[in-house]
Amino acid sequence: MLGKPRWQRPRLDPDEALLGGVGHALATEIGVPALVVRICFVLLAIGGGWGLFVYAAGWLYLRVAPVEAEPYVPDPKGPSETARYLAIGMVTTGLLMLARTIPSQLFSDAIVFSAGLFAIGVLIAWSRGSLSRTESMITRLAVASVFAVVALGLFLALAFSTLAAAVVSGIALAVLGVFGVLLGPTIVRLASDLGQERLNRARADERAVMAAHLHDSVLQTLALVQRHSDNPARTAQLARRQERELRQWLYASAPSTSARSTPSSPQSLRQLLEQLADKVEERHEIPVEVVVVGDSNLPFAVAQPLLGACREALTNAAKHSGAKQIDVFAEAHTDRVEVFVRDTGCGFLPDEVAHDRHGIVDSIAGRMERISGTATIHSTLGEGTEVELSAPLPSSETSENKDNHQ
Amino acid sequence: MIRVALVDDHAVVRAGVRAELEEYFTIVGEAGNVAEAIDVIASSRPDVVVCDVHLPGGNAPAVIRGVVDRGVTSTFLALSVSDAAEDVIAVIRAGARGYVTKTIEGADLVDAVRRVHEGDAVFSPRLAGFVLDAFSADLDGPVDPELDRLTAREQEVMRLLARGYAYKEVARRLSISIKTVETHASSVLRKLQLSNRNELTRWAANRRII
Repeated sequence: MLGKPRWQRPRLDPDEALLGGVGHALATEIGVPALVVRICFVLLAIGGGWGLFVYAAGWLYLRVAPVEAEPYVPDPKGPSETARYLAIGMVTTGLLMLARTIPSQLFSDAIVFSAGLFAIGVLIAWSRGSLSRTESMITRLAVASVFAVVALGLFLALAFSTLAAAVVSGIALAVLGVFGVLLGPTIVRLASDLGQERLNRARADERAVMAAHLHDSVLQTLALVQRHSDNPARTAQLARRQERELRQWLYASAPSTSARSTPSSPQSLRQLLEQLADKVEERHEIPVEVVVVGDSNLPFAVAQPLLGACREALTNAAKHSGAKQIDVFAEAHTDRVEVFVRDTGCGFLPDEVAHDRHGIVDSIAGRMERISGTATIHSTLGEGTEVELSAPLPSSETSENKDNHQ
Repeated sequence: MIRVALVDDHAVVRAGVRAELEEYFTIVGEAGNVAEAIDVIASSRPDVVVCDVHLPGGNAPAVIRGVVDRGVTSTFLALSVSDAAEDVIAVIRAGARGYVTKTIEGADLVDAVRRVHEGDAVFSPRLAGFVLDAFSADLDGPVDPELDRLTAREQEVMRLLARGYAYKEVARRLSISIKTVETHASSVLRKLQLSNRNELTRWAANRRII
């Protein structure tokens, strides 16, 4: 096995190129960001014109790189990133030094500085990448032209006498001003278009999130509903669960309400009851309507038995009453909490329930007694049943509760 | 026959409600947004308007105000999927005579339309819960006992309604006549509409999530 080649002639990547792609190709080969190499080229260009020369030479050399050769990802050269940067810096400095020792007409200050300035302009113009295609071309050309004019002025100023310099700088400034007036509005417009575009993109993103959610939840449910259309109970249950979910999703992202109604703690009476209702609805396929007045946070010691009793009452209603809906009403007072579970089903005679049935005795009355509460059951045959649960709240909770009610 | 107009931005919902009510009432108009609703109601002058809470171009209170400005005296029954207290209380405060959710059974909806037409107030358990919550807040500042408090009896009635009792069951439970229950409900509704308490508004604003 040959393994991948350690070195190939670096390739020009037209997609990444600013000018000819030499900077990017070298940077990839060395293993540093393209910007570093580009800055070096500009520095060299300014400091004696070497940069232009090296760049041109590099471009000619790299142009003929074998395109058909197998894909090649260069290894970063140098033992570490720091070493790579250091090497680049040393090479650049060396070339700069060298440039100063060879005085020549070709690399006169006039040419070097003007060309350097122009190069910077082009670099700036082409590095504004986030615009769309036609707009970016206009902006780039505008910026590049401005720099070209200024560079030309600088060249003329340095190359000829001071009088000429004054005249030329004047002309250059005038041209610059004209460009500013002509292109200013376009550039401003492009900038504001860009802002608009960003806003649109943000909106589109939001819409995408919404669409994704609707797809995951609502559309899936609708599909299920279609499949179960012959089963009304199942359909209703699906619809209801979806409604609950959607509501939660919609309102969960709403700005939070004032500090006094913070039912977000898992111990909140409302939340606990709604979770419970959810579960019962799911398991027994019967709608449970929860109404809570004066929400408050329950201490765990109260919440646990109370919710347990409540679950039992709900389950009994769901299993035995034959009602179409169960109503749960809870009211949190400052010193006690009351929960009513009501159905309009067949009803029963509490006295006639066999004593060995644990449901009511243990699961409801027993639990409530343990927290010094009461459980009362009203039931009329043919009209329905209501389970009334009441539990005192410990005094420490009372003061907190009072705060909730202010 | 009671003349009814339907206002809802979803044609499917309107069609569903129409199908349920058509047999018992004359449907005189339908509208899908606030401006349309005001026009339709002003021209057809229905007895009862069954109105969604959120509409394109505004909400139910905007419709109610617009209609009142044109001198129409139709009765409003809010029919909404929204359980948010803010929405519900806002509609009632604007003058709607009742509020029911869209999951209501067809027969109950028919009954609700009849009752608001007869001048009665229609409370769903949830609305009764809201009312109790709203009026239970402690009051600072000057209080009008006539308007800013519920009497003990009214509270009892509201509690039973919140527990899912129908009016006749409330009447039996409290050993009073249905007529008396209706009177209590109407007076609670009136208090809700007329009470000037800032707490009521603040309460509704604070309880957007129910």
